[in-house]
Amino acid sequence: MIESNYQREFEKIAEYYEKSGGDASRFLRRDIVSIIVSGDKVIGRNTVEGVELKAKGLENGVEIWLEVKDGIQVENPIHLCTGYLKPEGTQLVLIHTKLGKAAKANFLSHCVFPNGKEFTHRMISDIELSESAKMSYEDVHFHSKDGGVTVEAIYNAHLGEKSVFRNTFHLTKTRVGKLKVEMKVNLDKEAVAEIESKVYEKQDDYVEIIEELNLNGERSSGIAKSVVFATDSSKARIINRAYGNAPYARGHIECKEIVKGGNVNVGTIPELYVKDEKAELTHEASIGRMNVKQLETLMAKGLTENEAIELIVKGMLK
Amino acid sequence: MLALKRIRYEKSERVILRNMTIEFEDGKIYAMLGNNGVGKSTLAGIIMGLENYREHTGELYLDDISLKDLGVFERAKLGITLALQEPVRFEGITIDEYLNLGGKLRLSQDEIAEALKLVGLSKEYLGRYVDSTLSGGERKRVELASIVLIKPKIVILDEPDSGIDIMSNEMIKAVVGKLKKAGSTVIMITHREEIAMMADEAYLMCGGRLLASGTPQEIVAFYKKLCDSCDHINKPESEKIRGGEAK
Repeated sequence: MIESNYQREFEKIAEYYEKSGGDASRFLRRDIVSIIVSGDKVIGRNTVEGVELKAKGLENGVEIWLEVKDGIQVENPIHLCTGYLKPEGTQLVLIHTKLGKAAKANFLSHCVFPNGKEFTHRMISDIELSESAKMSYEDVHFHSKDGGVTVEAIYNAHLGEKSVFRNTFHLTKTRVGKLKVEMKVNLDKEAVAEIESKVYEKQDDYVEIIEELNLNGERSSGIAKSVVFATDSSKARIINRAYGNAPYARGHIECKEIVKGGNVNVGTIPELYVKDEKAELTHEASIGRMNVKQLETLMAKGLTENEAIELIVKGMLK
Repeated sequence: MLALKRIRYEKSERVILRNMTIEFEDGKIYAMLGNNGVGKSTLAGIIMGLENYREHTGELYLDDISLKDLGVFERAKLGITLALQEPVRFEGITIDEYLNLGGKLRLSQDEIAEALKLVGLSKEYLGRYVDSTLSGGERKRVELASIVLIKPKIVILDEPDSGIDIMSNEMIKAVVGKLKKAGSTVIMITHREEIAMMADEAYLMCGGRLLASGTPQEIVAFYKKLCDSCDHINKPESEKIRGGEAK
C-alpha cells in the first residue's frame, strides 16, 4: 500500500508508469505483490502469504529482498516500479530475489525516469531459483525525451535443477540515453533459460548489451536474443555469449540489429565456447537495413516507407 | 489502362525481358502463362517498381501517367499492388494489424472477418501473428484477404495458388470474382490450367517475350501441347509453330 505522505509522489510516478504501459491500479490491490520505489525511498509495498518482502534505504537508493517460499505459486504478476522524478542525480537499486523449490512467480518491472537530464540509474539484480522453480521477469523502461538518462541494468541468475527462467528487457517507447544491459545466467542440470533484450535507439543514444549463458548442467538449455533498431547517429555494441560446459547442453544466441540512417554505428560479437564434446551451441546474427521484401510488401499496399518501418519495428520489438 | 512499351530487363548479362509491349485493360482478368524462368515474376516486379527491377528500359503508363520514376509507394497510391508468390512474414504483427495496415485502412472487424471468410479463414485468426507460425497456405490466404481489402485498381497475383492445396481453387475463384466485381484489373501469373481458366484473356510468355495471346482455352491448349514438356525453355525460336494454334 502507498505510504500516506507519498501519495502525490506515487500519483506522479503512476502517471508515467501508465504511459509506459503499466496498470497503476494494481499497486493498490491487496492480492498483488508490489513495491514502489521513488528515488531512495520505498513509497509503497504490499505482499501476500508465502512471499516475503523486505526493503531498506541506501545512501542513493534502495535494497530489496524478495523471497517466494517453497511450493508457492504466485497467481498475479509481482509488480515492481522504480521511479526518479528529479532531472539530476543517481539511483542505486539492489534486488535479491529467491524462489523456493517448485515456486512460481512472474515479475513485471517498470522503471520510469521521465525528467532525467543528468541522471544515472544502476540496478543490480541477483536471482536464485531453487529446483523446479519457474520465474519470468519483464523489465520495461520509460525514459525522458532528452536522452540524459544513463541506465545500467545487471542481472545475475542462478538456475537450480529443472528450473525455468525467462528474462526480458524492453526499452522501445522513449529515448534510451546511455544503456548497459548485462544478463548472466548460470544453469544447473536440465534448467532452461530464455533471455532477451529489445531496444529502439534514436538520435545519439548508446547501447551496450551483454547476454551470457553458462550451461553448466547436463541437458540444460538456453536462448539469448537481442534485437536493436538503431536510427540517426545512435551506437550499439552487442555481445551474445554461451558456454556449453556439460553433456547435452544446448544453447542458441541470436542478435538482430536493424539500422536506418547514415550515421549509425552498430556491432555485434557472437561468442560460443564448448567445454564438453556433447554440448551443442548455435548462433545467428544479422546487421543491416530493414528487410526490403517486408518493406516493399507493405509499401505495395499503400504505406509510406516510414509507416512501413514503424509497423515492422513495432512488431519486432513487441 | 496499364501499358508496357518495349520493356527490356537484363540481369547479370542475361536478358530476362525482351522489348515486351503489352496492354492491360481496366476491369479485365488476365492470365500470364509460361514455364519457370521465362520472366513472369520479373514482369510483376517491374510493374510494381520493386527495387531489384528498377533498372530497365522501355516505358510503363497507367492511363496517361508514366510510372517510370515512381517508387513502390507512389505506384500503390495510384492503385497498383502485388501479391508475391511467397509472401514475407512479419514477426510480432497480428493478422488484424496486417490487414488493417497498422490502422491506416480503418477497417471494421466485420469487413476484416468477411475478407477472411472469403479466403477460408475464421475470425479466430485475427489475433495470430503473420510469422512462421502460419503455414505457407495460411500465409497465402492472409495475403489474398489483404489484397481484397485494399480494393486495388490493378493487382498482380504471382502464382496465387502456390502453397495452397489444389482443393482451394474455388476460394481463389471467389477472390478473383470479388476483385473483378470491384472493378479491379487482375493479372494472374500462373502455370496452372485451373487458374488460367478464370481469366478473360491469356498470354503465353517464353524467353522474356510474349509468344501468344488469346482466350484462356486457346493459350492453355497451346501451353499443354508445346510447353508442358518443353526441352528448349526460353528458346522459342527453335519451335517451328508460330501463331497457328493461338492468335
